Amino acid sequence: MSAKPNTERDLLVFSIWAVLGFGGLAFLLEGFKRNSYLITLLGTAFIVAGFVAHIIVNGLYQQGFRSGETALGIGLFGVLTFTFIAGVFSGGMSMVDYYSGLTLFAVLVVGFIAYLSTRHGLRGAFSRFHVKTSVSGDGSR
Amino acid sequence: MTDAGNMIWLPLFALFYVAVMLFWTRVAALENRNYETYFSAGHTLSPWISAIILAGASLSGWFLLGGSTEISVRGFTQPGILQGGILLALPGVLFFKRMWFIGQRLRLSSQTELFRSYFDSDFLVVVSTAVAVLFAVGFAGLQLRALSEIIAALSGGMISQLIAGLFLGAVLFAYVGIGGMRAVGYFGVIQTVLALTGVVGLAGFVLISTGGFTHLNDGLQALAEGPDGAGLFMVSGVIQFSAGLGRGAVSGHAETALTSFGLALAFMGFQASPLTAKIVMSTRNANGFAAGQTWVMAGVVGGIIVFGIAIIGAAGLVDANMSLGGMLAQLQTDSPWFMAWLFLGAIAGVQLLAGLGLLTAGESLVRHVYKPYFHSGLSRMATVNLTRIVIGLLTLLSVLMQSLAPVTLSALAALALPLSFQLWTPLLGITWLRWITRSAAATGVGFGIAGVLLTEPLGYQVLSFLGLELPWGRWPWTIHSAAWGMAANLTAVLIISAITNRNAFGEEAQEARRFVASTLRIGSRARALGAVAWSVVLAWLFLAVGPGLVFSNSAFGAIDASGGEWAVGMPSIWAWALLFWALGVGIVWFLSYKMEMASPHMLEIAAYEPRRKLKRDQSSIERERLRKLIVTGALAFVLIVLVAFSFGG
Repeated sequence: MSAKPNTERDLLVFSIWAVLGFGGLAFLLEGFKRNSYLITLLGTAFIVAGFVAHIIVNGLYQQGFRSGETALGIGLFGVLTFTFIAGVFSGGMSMVDYYSGLTLFAVLVVGFIAYLSTRHGLRGAFSRFHVKTSVSGDGSR
Repeated sequence: MTDAGNMIWLPLFALFYVAVMLFWTRVAALENRNYETYFSAGHTLSPWISAIILAGASLSGWFLLGGSTEISVRGFTQPGILQGGILLALPGVLFFKRMWFIGQRLRLSSQTELFRSYFDSDFLVVVSTAVAVLFAVGFAGLQLRALSEIIAALSGGMISQLIAGLFLGAVLFAYVGIGGMRAVGYFGVIQTVLALTGVVGLAGFVLISTGGFTHLNDGLQALAEGPDGAGLFMVSGVIQFSAGLGRGAVSGHAETALTSFGLALAFMGFQASPLTAKIVMSTRNANGFAAGQTWVMAGVVGGIIVFGIAIIGAAGLVDANMSLGGMLAQLQTDSPWFMAWLFLGAIAGVQLLAGLGLLTAGESLVRHVYKPYFHSGLSRMATVNLTRIVIGLLTLLSVLMQSLAPVTLSALAALALPLSFQLWTPLLGITWLRWITRSAAATGVGFGIAGVLLTEPLGYQVLSFLGLELPWGRWPWTIHSAAWGMAANLTAVLIISAITNRNAFGEEAQEARRFVASTLRIGSRARALGAVAWSVVLAWLFLAVGPGLVFSNSAFGAIDASGGEWAVGMPSIWAWALLFWALGVGIVWFLSYKMEMASPHMLEIAAYEPRRKLKRDQSSIERERLRKLIVTGALAFVLIVLVAFSFGG
């Protein structure tokens, strides 16, 4: 059996996140510890670079994010959001932590919208979330 | 963060590593259909996957653990280390393409099979197997031991070295035993990028901690001006006729240009090992060798060695607290997440080499030695299962030796590269030099092994145990054992090839020769460039790793026993290494593409159909053979014990 393109694409995706994802995480943590916005920004840049590289690999293999990847991404986003909100309410965040978190979320949200609109067009991107349901009987009138 | 908080990151990242390993092992096992393509991934690994894992296995952890420590302790006295990327790429350019074509034509999947088919030599089969076992148990085992020690130190003794070794061994067995070559290939890509990132990251931390490249070189400059400091930045002449390490005195230090040359030859041994052949022959096509050897191996890996490893080593030289262990300990306190991530890179690099070694050794022992000689009726499934058991046993042996017999492990590890280098002559015979005869190849390797054993600690310690004291120590005349072995090897090959029949080859060898001659004929343009190419290669070898290294002492500055001054802001010998690394990338590119030695070549290769032979029941002969082996082993053991009691210690 030959190595399927999917396997090779998945390998590249794993490699990208092993380097850029974990690197980004490490820089974010380092920035929080040192209270340095520049270092957390570097961490954010790593994560964005990871997404860009992931999208390039998707393009090379002519496919989008797999459902497992989407679920993992949304799950991680949820965990991060929860942690951030908990941090805000606990009152232990410095201004650098606050702005670093906001930057990360802003970049992720803007990047997500930009990705959807470049991949599906603005209208198509909206349609990804707008689930049309057919109502029986309406069509006969 | 508290100590306990710092401790959480390494296990957390290790958990991630294991999860990724299990995922890819499952993918590999499913694609293998359990056992059907276990040994060679069905010969379908993508060229880019092969290029990356060849680079990762070649870099392994040696350059990070061994290379940086060498520089930290002995300075830049062995500049051969810094040319690692080019030295590892050159044999790949020379051998891989032709090996792959012959392997495809004859449907072979390993170096051991290649030796059996071409030379019909049982001796070469056994040597190739022994080299694979040495890499799996000794060479990789020693690196795993170093990592286990670092884990034990970082955990403050909470995790013992044995437990760390058992954990690393369990991970190894899990993915190699279940997923076979496909798992080594798939997971190897991730291990390689982690390893490369680890070295780059550590070098980056060193630069930040030391205040940048200029500050680091200022520290080296101050060191060179101190008492006995200049010697750390120069090779001590071309050669010193001493009796060898541990026996004879030398003036200055024992690292001469020829020590570096011998070490360079040993590095080149890795690309002639059964481990790299396993990757090459599991590859789908030969179109990636040129790019892999030129850009990945010589370019990226070479650059990482000549910059990254050198920077890490230089920092340890300036300040012992900045050596690899010290730096990781400091990171553990300051940035445990970075420490965990970068240390994972070191683990990944060593595990890639160890995994590949274990698979190759297990396959060789079961499929190429046990099955053909002692149990030809073994089914494919039973062969795979037995190989898994052997891999488990080899892993256990390696882990136990790491804890219980580190000195023996170290002596075995020192043999792997120089012994592997002795396989150059049969490989040259198969791929390029048709005049090397079967008996010459086997005898040459035999002499080469003797040359290596007699100039390495294991050889003279064994002889000393038996009561025979050699008058020389390790690496007499400051020449590495790889070079001594090759001198004996080449002499035997030249003499025996001259006096034996050069056309006495079996059917498969003749077919391989015919096939290579007809399909891989070099174009007229490349032929015309031949003389230039080899002149350039020889000049590079002479100046970058050979006797010409003496010019590096003062090419970019002035240095003598009383001190030195750099003209380019860094040690002259390091600047020389950088220059020849850049030139080396050009040479590898030239040989690969312009000389067509590794260039892409599209061809549908039909399998060679040997003449059909009647199969006979071999079981009684095999039983007899096994009985003889056991009796011979027992007799040899008794004899050794008797001789040792009579004459030895």
